Amino acid sequence: MSVTESQDIEQATSAMHSAPDNKTRRYDRQLRLWAASGQAALESSRILVLSASATSTSILKNLVLPGIGHFTLLDDEQVKPSDAGNNFFLDGFSSIGKNRAQEALPLLKELNDSVDGEAVTKSVKELLSTDEGKKWIKGFSLVIAHNLKKGELEQLSNLLWEDLNDPPLIVVRSAGFLADFYIQFHEQCIIEPHSDTAPSLRITKPFPALQKWADETDFSKLDPTEHAHVPFVIILIKAADHWRKEHNGDLPKTYDEKKQFKAYVRSLQTKIDEENFEEAEAQAVRIWGAAETPVPSEVKALFSLPSLTSPNQTDSNEAFHALLQTLKKFVEDPEGPGRLPLTSTLPDMKTDTESYVKLQKLYREWSGVESARFKTLLQQTYPTLEIDPAMVDSFIKNVHHIRLLRGRKYGTWETNVDSVKETLSYMGKEVGTHLVLNALEELLSKDEEVTSEKVIEHVKSFLGPDVELPEEVEAAAGEVARAPTADLPNTAAFLGGMIAQESIKIITKQYVPVNGYCVVDLIDSWTGNIGAP
Amino acid sequence: MNGHLAAGDWDDRYHHIDQILNNPGPRTDPSFMAGDEVKDFLRNKCKVLVIGAGGLGCEILANLALSGFKDIHVIDMDTIDISNLNRQFLFRPKDVGKPKALVAAEFIMNRVPGVKVTPYYGKIQDKDDAYYMQFTLVVCGLDSVEARRWINATLVNLVDPDLPESLKPLIDGGTEGFKGQARVILPTVSSCYECSLEMLNKPTAFPICTIANTPRLPEHCIEWASVLEWPRVHTDKKLDTDDPEHIGWLFSVASARAKEFNIEGVTWSLTQGVVKNIIPAIASTNAIIAASCCNEAFKIATSSAAFLNNYFMLIGTEGVYSYTFEHEKRKDCPVCGGESLDLKINKEWTVDRLIELLVEKQDIQIKKPSLSTPTKQIYFQAPPQLEEATRPNLEKKVSELVDEGGEVTVTASSLPFNLSLRISYI
Repeated sequence: MSVTESQDIEQATSAMHSAPDNKTRRYDRQLRLWAASGQAALESSRILVLSASATSTSILKNLVLPGIGHFTLLDDEQVKPSDAGNNFFLDGFSSIGKNRAQEALPLLKELNDSVDGEAVTKSVKELLSTDEGKKWIKGFSLVIAHNLKKGELEQLSNLLWEDLNDPPLIVVRSAGFLADFYIQFHEQCIIEPHSDTAPSLRITKPFPALQKWADETDFSKLDPTEHAHVPFVIILIKAADHWRKEHNGDLPKTYDEKKQFKAYVRSLQTKIDEENFEEAEAQAVRIWGAAETPVPSEVKALFSLPSLTSPNQTDSNEAFHALLQTLKKFVEDPEGPGRLPLTSTLPDMKTDTESYVKLQKLYREWSGVESARFKTLLQQTYPTLEIDPAMVDSFIKNVHHIRLLRGRKYGTWETNVDSVKETLSYMGKEVGTHLVLNALEELLSKDEEVTSEKVIEHVKSFLGPDVELPEEVEAAAGEVARAPTADLPNTAAFLGGMIAQESIKIITKQYVPVNGYCVVDLIDSWTGNIGAP
Repeated sequence: MNGHLAAGDWDDRYHHIDQILNNPGPRTDPSFMAGDEVKDFLRNKCKVLVIGAGGLGCEILANLALSGFKDIHVIDMDTIDISNLNRQFLFRPKDVGKPKALVAAEFIMNRVPGVKVTPYYGKIQDKDDAYYMQFTLVVCGLDSVEARRWINATLVNLVDPDLPESLKPLIDGGTEGFKGQARVILPTVSSCYECSLEMLNKPTAFPICTIANTPRLPEHCIEWASVLEWPRVHTDKKLDTDDPEHIGWLFSVASARAKEFNIEGVTWSLTQGVVKNIIPAIASTNAIIAASCCNEAFKIATSSAAFLNNYFMLIGTEGVYSYTFEHEKRKDCPVCGGESLDLKINKEWTVDRLIELLVEKQDIQIKKPSLSTPTKQIYFQAPPQLEEATRPNLEKKVSELVDEGGEVTVTASSLPFNLSLRISYI
């Protein structure tokens, strides 16, 4: 090891080896969820929020606290007495008559000194009317709009759908106890969805050093202590080999065979207290379960997905797609394992320290071999592509979990009325509530009085005359007629949490955001998802 | 309010909420007194208790204040730590070290005029039945199972069938990372906290033989340092997991052990996480769950809409997944059930083994239980004389002391209820 290399390692790890600094301590509880990489992504984000309503400031509160880089609050209205009553980030009576964004700004900023914030007292309409304004909007990493007027919302969603690299738009609508939201994005590539599923341990196709260990293990020659500490991975490899020999090279398939296989594993136990064999029996499901599938179908489906193209633009997900195509080559390579690159992390298992550490070393070494092979393929296929080595490593490490979501423009779902009708037939309350909010938006944009009848009429004219409305539609219509413009503190706080959470997922590219509409009813306290592509 | 504005109010202040309070909706119960009557109750008569002024508590206080509750009490025994500031939004760096209840109450009263928040810096166990009897309802944002069990049992015990107002709805929220739940408990009427004890995640416990003999994970080394080495080296000093020097000591001892066994991954952060049992916590999840709790409190206090029956569960890691369902009452719930719990045990089991089971069993989880039958004392944890007198029973078989089908009463000083077991043998 060269001198510089060892210094680097020391520097990189010194932060972990001493008491953490104040920033790490402040963010400790969230760093355990999205780590330094997620935090860095948050800190470089710039978020635009349209209107300083109670819902908008609630959303921002939950983004300023975890430490986004910058926010801009856009609002040209003055604080009304009703705003001062329902918005925690206005200074009560004394804020009345002043600009909403300017009044909210200091109260949001004081939540976290490291966040930069700005109040802009223009209207959305004004911005959308000039090229300069449009360009300014596109300069953010995420745009969030609460209860925006119908026409402006359409313009905004059109604007942010023009180019692949335009910021995602979150559309939030609420009235009283009812709400829905939608995230408009072209594509979301997720390397770290933090899924719970176990990656393959190559039990059914061991790498050479692992196979060697299994082959060299002879249960009959082990002393009782060694016998009780053979790791379950080795037990299962041996059991699978044994089974294949007796079944023409096949693994257990039917329920009975699986039962027999488990019984065989258990029969290898010589003493009742050998927990390693019990564990092997419990883990036998790995052999026929999803864990040992050579290439999971969800990952395979991504191989044939063409990357999105846009004139005169490089796709910001270019690197991810390059990694995907390299992965395709990797698994199809006749010289390769025919599987996703090996994981380097081993779950805990009933064994002694020495065996565990040895096994861990074998996995790490072979994972290094395959990772190098992957990187060679990447270099060969994309010789000119500049790609962050940390991203490549993270991709290989999380390769069993990677996700890719394709989104649609806001409102696309409703252009297919038949699809909406069909969903309505089995998700009456979710679709009903969404359609009622559509109707409300329409009525409010025309400054019409909102009555239950008018809302229903609107929903009916959208769906066509032959559709029978489920009773939930009437219940939702009555609720929006009761409180058409109510931004209730609890609904605002609820949405504040939900939208901030989804924003964090979008920005950090960790965890999986909602695709489609998320509908919320805080009377019966449910949420539902509809209209996913 | 007949046109009169209370102190600190202004015209149209409650424009948003009044859209709800002025008229019923399609799903509103006929008992709803729309208009002045419900507003007067909410703003002038209703008194609510918030337990916890932490991650959920800060959010709960703000939501209740904006919703129009004007007489709010809050209990919290903690002081503010720097790691609270990523979500407990009523606190600033200058507040670190101060009592949460006091700082939170002060903040709310400054920000939302006309709202009175009465803080109590201490334990919920310090307060008696008369104290809890004064509230309309209780909203709980706690991170401790023990405290939840205590307040739950206390509110169930408070119910007097002849006194309708003795039934205090309990709204309980909890979060962990991107997940959380909110529930409404009507003591004695619907499923209580104790009824659902078995839904709790089992805490990760490492077998002592793994820690002592076959460590494999960095966590095993950290447990070795805290469980075995700390008491051995510091015989008379208790481990304080909030003391950085103590954590530092554990970290270096765990690191040394990890090095000896070639185990990688012991870090300061992991050491702290393991010994303090740190649960990840973020502002957004707390906001969702606290909003749900306060929304239920608002609906219960005003009858403006039906309230949650009775459990809302949220998982936010993959999309937004939630599940709303009615958790069923347990007939053999030791707090609200009335029937004794049937327990089948091995005829050879000693009293000590039975106690071990009572501590571990997911639907019981009673730390330091004392056991008796209607006619004799089996084992008592306290007072010392009684403990000493009953100690020899620990080694005896339960079957020698209790007949088949016999009743055993289990008590614990930390919980205000008796668990009644009906023992049978296999």
